[in-house]
Amino acid sequence: MFLQTIITGLSIGSIYALMAVGYSLVFSVLNFSNFAHGAIITLGAYIAWAIMVHYFQVPFLPALLLSIAGAGILAFLNERIAYSTLRRRRAPSLYLMISAMGVAIALQNLLYATIGAKLYALPSVFEQDTFDVGGASLSRMDLFAFVFSVVAIALLHFGLTYTKVGTAIRAASYDMEMVSVLGVNLDMLVAVLFLIAGGLGGMAGVFMGVKYMVYPSMGWITNKAYIGAVIGGLGSLPGAIVGGILLGLLEALVTVTTIGSVHLSTYRDVFSFGTLAILLIVRPTGLFGRLVEEKL
Amino acid sequence: MKARSAFGLLLLVVMLGSLAFPGGPVQAQTIKIGHEVALTGPNATWGESEARAVKMAAEKVNAQGGVLGRKLEIIAYDNRADRLEAVNVAKRLVEQDKVVAIIGPAQSGVANAIREVNNSAKVPVIATTATNPKVTVNDDGAVVPYTFRVCFIDPFQGTVAAQFAYRDLKAKTAAILYDVGDEYSQWLGKYFTDAFQKDGGKITTSEAFRSGELDFRAQLGKIKQSNPDVLYIPTMQKEAALSAKQARDLGIKATFMGGDGWGSPDLFDLAGRAIEGSYFVNITALEDPAIQGFIKDYRAKYNEDPVLPNPVLAYDAVLWLVDAMKRAGTTDGEKLKGAMEQTKDLQVLTGKLTIDPKTHNPLNKPAVIQETKGGKFLYVKTFVTSD
Repeated sequence: MFLQTIITGLSIGSIYALMAVGYSLVFSVLNFSNFAHGAIITLGAYIAWAIMVHYFQVPFLPALLLSIAGAGILAFLNERIAYSTLRRRRAPSLYLMISAMGVAIALQNLLYATIGAKLYALPSVFEQDTFDVGGASLSRMDLFAFVFSVVAIALLHFGLTYTKVGTAIRAASYDMEMVSVLGVNLDMLVAVLFLIAGGLGGMAGVFMGVKYMVYPSMGWITNKAYIGAVIGGLGSLPGAIVGGILLGLLEALVTVTTIGSVHLSTYRDVFSFGTLAILLIVRPTGLFGRLVEEKL
Repeated sequence: MKARSAFGLLLLVVMLGSLAFPGGPVQAQTIKIGHEVALTGPNATWGESEARAVKMAAEKVNAQGGVLGRKLEIIAYDNRADRLEAVNVAKRLVEQDKVVAIIGPAQSGVANAIREVNNSAKVPVIATTATNPKVTVNDDGAVVPYTFRVCFIDPFQGTVAAQFAYRDLKAKTAAILYDVGDEYSQWLGKYFTDAFQKDGGKITTSEAFRSGELDFRAQLGKIKQSNPDVLYIPTMQKEAALSAKQARDLGIKATFMGGDGWGSPDLFDLAGRAIEGSYFVNITALEDPAIQGFIKDYRAKYNEDPVLPNPVLAYDAVLWLVDAMKRAGTTDGEKLKGAMEQTKDLQVLTGKLTIDPKTHNPLNKPAVIQETKGGKFLYVKTFVTSD
C-alpha cells in the first residue's frame, strides 16, 4: 500500500517536475511567472489529439515529437506576441505576468470556442498497461513518461552546460543586461528559451493527455507546477525537479491519510497551497534557489 | 414655388398621418421560455440533446396553436454547467429577455446557484435532471417557492442502486468513491450508504476526491485493500471513466456502479474496456416502452439517438409548463407557480405527472437500471424499491 502510494506520487510528481522545469527556466532568465505555460501544455495535448485521433492516425512516438515541436513553436510565438514588446520596454515583471494571464485565458477560451469543451481521450499507448511490482501496480506509460522526462531534462542540462547558447542562457539568468552588453543577441536567446520551455510543456501535456484525458482547462494544473517550482526554489532547475517530485509525493501521501474519520484527501489542495504560503514566508528561496527580490 | 411647397407640405401631412393609422395585422407577442443548458463542456452531450428536445416540444405545441393564443419562443443560453455562468444566464433571461419560466438547469449545484435570481424575480424554474433534494426543499423543510423539478431525487436513486447491489448483484460489501466538490455526488454517496447498510450490507471504505481531480490512484489503493464486492462511483461520466480505468489498472475486481451522471455516450470513449460490465441507475432508457414515440420523432428529425435522460425530461417540462399556463390562464409568475403546484395526472412522456405541492417534486417516478456492455447501455430492468 505504501509502495503504491509512492509510485502514484512519483508518477504525478514527474509531470509536475516537467512543468516546473519549463516554468523555472523562463523565470530564471526573465524573472516573471509565465502563467501562459499552462496554455502551452494544453495546446501540446491538443496537437497530439489532432494528429493521433482527429485528423491523422500518427503513432505515439512521432506524435509526441511533433507535439513537442509544435508546443515549442507556440511558446515562441507567445513570447513574440505577448512579451517581447514589454521586455524591450523594460516593463516591470508584473506587466509580463498580467500579459501571461491574459494569454492563458484567451487561449483556453479560444479552445472552448473552436474545438469545444468535449473531453477527448488519447489512444492507449501500451496494450497491457500495468505490471506488478512488489504488490503494487506500475503503469508502463508512467514508466515511459518518467524515463523520457529524465532523458529530456538530462539533455537540457547537457545543453545548458556545454553549448554556447546554453551558457548564454545561464549567464542571462544572472544578469540579462550584462549579457546583452557583452554582445549576445537577446532576442534570439529568449526565443531559444521559450522553444525549450514550450517543448518541455508540450511533453508534459501529451503525457497528461495519455494518462488522463484532453480538455481545455487542463492547463490550470500548472498552479501545482508553480508550487513545485517554488518549493524547489524559483529559478533553479534542479530545484524545480525536486520540488515537483516532492509535491507529487506529498499530495499522494496526504490523499491516503485519514485522521480519525476525516479524509485528508479532500484537504489535499489546502496542503499544497498551504505549503506554498508557508514556504514563501519562511524560506522564500525554496530549497535550492537564489535570493530574488520580486517573486511574481 | 408656391405649388411645390404646398405639395411638399401635403406629402408631409399624409406621411405623418399614416403613422396614426398603422395598417396590417398586429404581430402577436410570443411567450418566451428560457432554457438554462450546458451546450459546451463535459455535460454538452446531454445539453445539446436537451436543447433539441425542447425545440421539438415547442414546435409541436406551436403547430397545435400555441398557448393562450400565442406561440412559444425558446431562448436557450449556454451555461457550461458552471455555477457562475449559470447565474449570468439566469439574470439575462429574467431581466433582459423577460422570460415567463426557465427550463433547466440539469445539475443540482447549478440549480442551487440560480435560486436567488429566479425566486426574487418570481420566475418558475423546472430543473430537468437536478436530483439533489435541496434543489426544491430547504434544510428547514420549507419548499423553494419558484423552483420545481421533473425528475426523481437522489435519496430514491441511492436506494435503488443500493437495493439492486444487495438484492440483485448479491453484494455484501461496497466501497464509495465520491466527489466532495459536487453536492450531487456527496449526497448520492450518502443515500447509497444508508440504504445499503439498512439492507445489511457493509461499506468497507468511503473515499473522496476534489472536483477536477484526474488521478484517483491514491484513493483507489485504499479501496483495493478493503476488497469490496461493489465500487459505487456516484459522479459524472468523466470521473467515473477515469476512476474505472485506474481501478482496473490497479487490479480492483469489484463491480462498478453509478448514478444518472454516467449516461453519456462518451463514457465508453473515455473509459475503454474498464467500464464494461458495470451498472448504473438512470431516469429512463432507450428501450423504455413509454418513450418510443418521442424517440422515433427525435431520430427522424435529427438523425441520431437522443442522449438520455435529459431530452425526455426537458420535453416533459415543456408539457408541464404548457398545461399549467392553460390552467392558470396567464403567464404571470405567481399564478403560474400555483397552477404548476396543482398538476395532477398530466400525461407526459415518462408517465403521469403529479406534483407534490409541498416539495415541488414529482410523485411516483420510476427508475431504470442500465448495464454497460459492448460499448452500449443495455436496459436491465425498471426498478421498484421496497422498504
